[in-house]
Amino acid sequence: MSAQNAAAPERAPAALVWACAALGGGLLLHADRLPAWAVAGTLAMILWRLTIARPGQLLSGATVRALLALSLVTLVFARFHTLNGLTAGTTLLVLMAALKLLEARRARDAYVIVGVALFLVLAACLDRQDLARVPLYGVEALLCCAAFALIATPGLGALPALRLAGRSLLVAFPLALALFLLFPRLPGALWAIPPRDEATTGLSESMTPGGITRLISTYEPVFRVTFIGARPPPEQLYWRGPVLHEFDGATWRRRPASLGQPAPLQYLGTPYHHRVALEPSREHFWFALDTPARSPDPAVLLSEDRELVAGNPVNAPVSFEVVSYTHTQAARPLESGARLADTALPPGNPRTLTLARSLREHTSTDEALLRAGLEFLRTGGFSYSVTPERLGPDAVDDLLFRTREGFCGHYASAFVTLMRAAGLPAHVVTGYLGGEWNPIGGYLLVRQSDAHAWAEVWLPVRGWTRVDPTAVVAPERLHRGLLDLLPQALSVPERLLRQSRWLSGLLQRWDAASAWWNARVVRFDLDSQLGLLARLGVRAPNARDLGWAFMLVLSLWLAVGAWRLGDGVARTRPPDALARAYARLCRKLARAVLPRPPQQGPLDFAAAVSARRPDLAGDVLPLFERYAQLRYGLPSPATRRRDVEDFARAVARLSLKRAARHASGSGRTLA
Amino acid sequence: MNPFAPLARRLRTRSAAWMRRRQGEDVLPVTLERRRLYILPTRAGVGFATLLALMFLAGLNYANSLALLVTFLLTAFALVAMQQCHGNLLGTQVLSATAPAVFAGTTGRVLLTLGAADARPRLQLEAALPQGPPQHGDLGPRGRQRLELPLPATARGLVRIERIRLATVHPFGLFRAWTWVHTPLEMLVYPRVHGSLPMPIHSAPRAGQRSLCGAGDDEWVGLRAFRDGDSPRQVDWKAYARESPLLVKDYSSGGAELRLFEYARLTDPDGEARLSQLARWVVDAEARGERYGLVLPGTRIAIDRGPEHRHRCLAALALFGQSDGADRVGAERRRA
Repeated sequence: MSAQNAAAPERAPAALVWACAALGGGLLLHADRLPAWAVAGTLAMILWRLTIARPGQLLSGATVRALLALSLVTLVFARFHTLNGLTAGTTLLVLMAALKLLEARRARDAYVIVGVALFLVLAACLDRQDLARVPLYGVEALLCCAAFALIATPGLGALPALRLAGRSLLVAFPLALALFLLFPRLPGALWAIPPRDEATTGLSESMTPGGITRLISTYEPVFRVTFIGARPPPEQLYWRGPVLHEFDGATWRRRPASLGQPAPLQYLGTPYHHRVALEPSREHFWFALDTPARSPDPAVLLSEDRELVAGNPVNAPVSFEVVSYTHTQAARPLESGARLADTALPPGNPRTLTLARSLREHTSTDEALLRAGLEFLRTGGFSYSVTPERLGPDAVDDLLFRTREGFCGHYASAFVTLMRAAGLPAHVVTGYLGGEWNPIGGYLLVRQSDAHAWAEVWLPVRGWTRVDPTAVVAPERLHRGLLDLLPQALSVPERLLRQSRWLSGLLQRWDAASAWWNARVVRFDLDSQLGLLARLGVRAPNARDLGWAFMLVLSLWLAVGAWRLGDGVARTRPPDALARAYARLCRKLARAVLPRPPQQGPLDFAAAVSARRPDLAGDVLPLFERYAQLRYGLPSPATRRRDVEDFARAVARLSLKRAARHASGSGRTLA
Repeated sequence: MNPFAPLARRLRTRSAAWMRRRQGEDVLPVTLERRRLYILPTRAGVGFATLLALMFLAGLNYANSLALLVTFLLTAFALVAMQQCHGNLLGTQVLSATAPAVFAGTTGRVLLTLGAADARPRLQLEAALPQGPPQHGDLGPRGRQRLELPLPATARGLVRIERIRLATVHPFGLFRAWTWVHTPLEMLVYPRVHGSLPMPIHSAPRAGQRSLCGAGDDEWVGLRAFRDGDSPRQVDWKAYARESPLLVKDYSSGGAELRLFEYARLTDPDGEARLSQLARWVVDAEARGERYGLVLPGTRIAIDRGPEHRHRCLAALALFGQSDGADRVGAERRRA
């Protein structure tokens, strides 16, 4: 009965152990995002509290606690310079929970810690929504609910607690799904969302020629593309990202704040209408096929260089539709400012300058110059490599005349430098090339490993023309993924994954599931909700209809739940009509006068009722007499059924309040 | 210290009266049905609701579907928890509640037997008297559980127990379902046993004693629990075969003295001290197997012995001078 009170004080109680487990699980969800010292410190605190802490060592002074909390806040602020960001907030939350462990004694403290763990699940959801992480979130939620069960019922074992929590969550899931589908979403945010303070791997505003190799060993998806109508041939699958103009000899950079309007173009060839679903990249760039005609979204700027630059970084999956062209012609000549910027050269690289001069002298037109430059790459004995030799200070000279091996970034950088040296405006374009066709989902998957860099050169009539020097050095790159050419770029497990047909098939299935998850769940918004209502048969649905549907489902669920609960202990229903009517009569009297003890017969009970409330006797006594007559008297089969019905009706009509009023009223008239 | 304490107390009294009016008096056994169960979130539950509200705002603001899905899952979980908590108490039966008589100055107890008629297990039920600490117990499928609720007996007389609270926070501690069982229950508190005066001997003629005493050594008094050293010949084997505990047929050994304890003969000015002394004598005389009677102003209990007689004497002492004393004891005995 009081076994839990007698438990040894030395061992941490089950409630605290489970609260710690829930907190640890929540911490692990964020382990790779939070500062290592915060994670390690909290884990150490959990271990200390569970193993060696004695009750006497726990903190009790409010001042000490407040000071500790303040110093933790300071620490977090010093690290992040804000407390508002997701990572900073999560770090602070985790540290405060660790502090709470220092003084956790009672069940209430355990509840607080589990609450923090649940909030960590939410923070993890805000941070990342990949399908692969969903099971982790589910397990953590289960752990938290089981911890609740163990705090409330200390004697419950671990397995029963998990089973109980799992069953409750399963029962809750259909309702959760209905609420999720029907709760009307806001069209915008309630308050400004603080910017993220961390970056992931991906293309950015600058590039060192060797830097792209860092990306290609990453097998993560960047975006998925569905073509509506015509699909471009594989050698045209250039996905434009940041366009880089400024070169200091080592690094290429974007033009600062290029807010100019994109120059008008004449579009040639097939328009490619496609839908791109971006994975969160934390960057401002949206990716589309070669030359997008216009911006897909009011919040996205189509820059002078035909990049798509969003106002907010991509922190959650986004999807958009856009029309692109792979062949264009300039409608206007290049402005002098742009020409100046795109022919600027860094100091150094004397041999490249010499080569450029000789190329220019031997050719008459810009087209011929371009061809000669590409010819130099084709015949110069250049090779394609992910792990080229390190280049010296004159990087372009070093590549073109000494090492002669490099990656797409090296060739694009060297070729643009060569063209600029020869007086041709040119710049580097970074982005992705190709992609893997997923037959299950019917889309093209572009991974980080498809990262690429190429050049654009201004030719007098055509305007900006895409030139891929890498395609000259390694022509097969256009048709096959980079990883087919350079399998050593990948880590061993991923290489094995690609080599096994069965595994890569599985991977494609998984990716199709991820794509479905992102499209149907993560990007589920008001439009999807209204579409759902329309499919359910609501004509011209709006947010108000959603609200009604939401309320309807919620109340229906509650009603069914209440009904099912009552079902388990339904009043044992008397078998025949007479007994039912009698039970009803007894219930009425039990409420108003006194309950009938099970052993008391009808006439005794009637006597007891009349003794307690003489004013009711006149109405109640005859009913009991009739019952006794019907139940125990001589049977009269001919009229019995009607008599029972009459009795039941009389019981139904009996109103004790009215009877009492009637009795007192008549009493007054008599007096 | 808490400025709302008087308000809360008044609210509690009012709600207790309201529940009493609403539910009426209970006749055991009672099955707890929906109409009489109350449920509210606990402090942890209120905290959980606040957490849900925060999560909901965050999910809505970030327009983050997964966060909203998690929030709704936990909301639905809380609703399920509410139904489970309600269901944990629903259908529980209160089979019996008794409060055996005790002496003043000790702690008495209310013995409560809970049961379940259906196949659902019920965990972590708690029962408490209005001011007492809760006692916890589990009920298996169709199981029974006996709980002892402590009830301090400070002064002699009748302790009336208005109601018994049954509650549960199982399974997740987010909600608390409770009900009050209003069953007439009284605990008789005998006077404190105290005093050191020698026992008086009844001054009646010896002959009368003979006739009263009858068969002397061989007179059968009753059954009592087996004690080490009892002769196996005296054990009531037939009763034992009927699954009773081991009982011994008690024969009067002496009946040497006839004693009459009279209130009026005591000289202590404090009435309570006199009653304590009388109680001491009654207990001692019964323990020695002697025959005794009791004379109080207005009450006379003839010479006799046995547990029933002892109770009658102690009850008379307990209720002596209290307004509704005598008829209550009578009613109690009729019930027994």
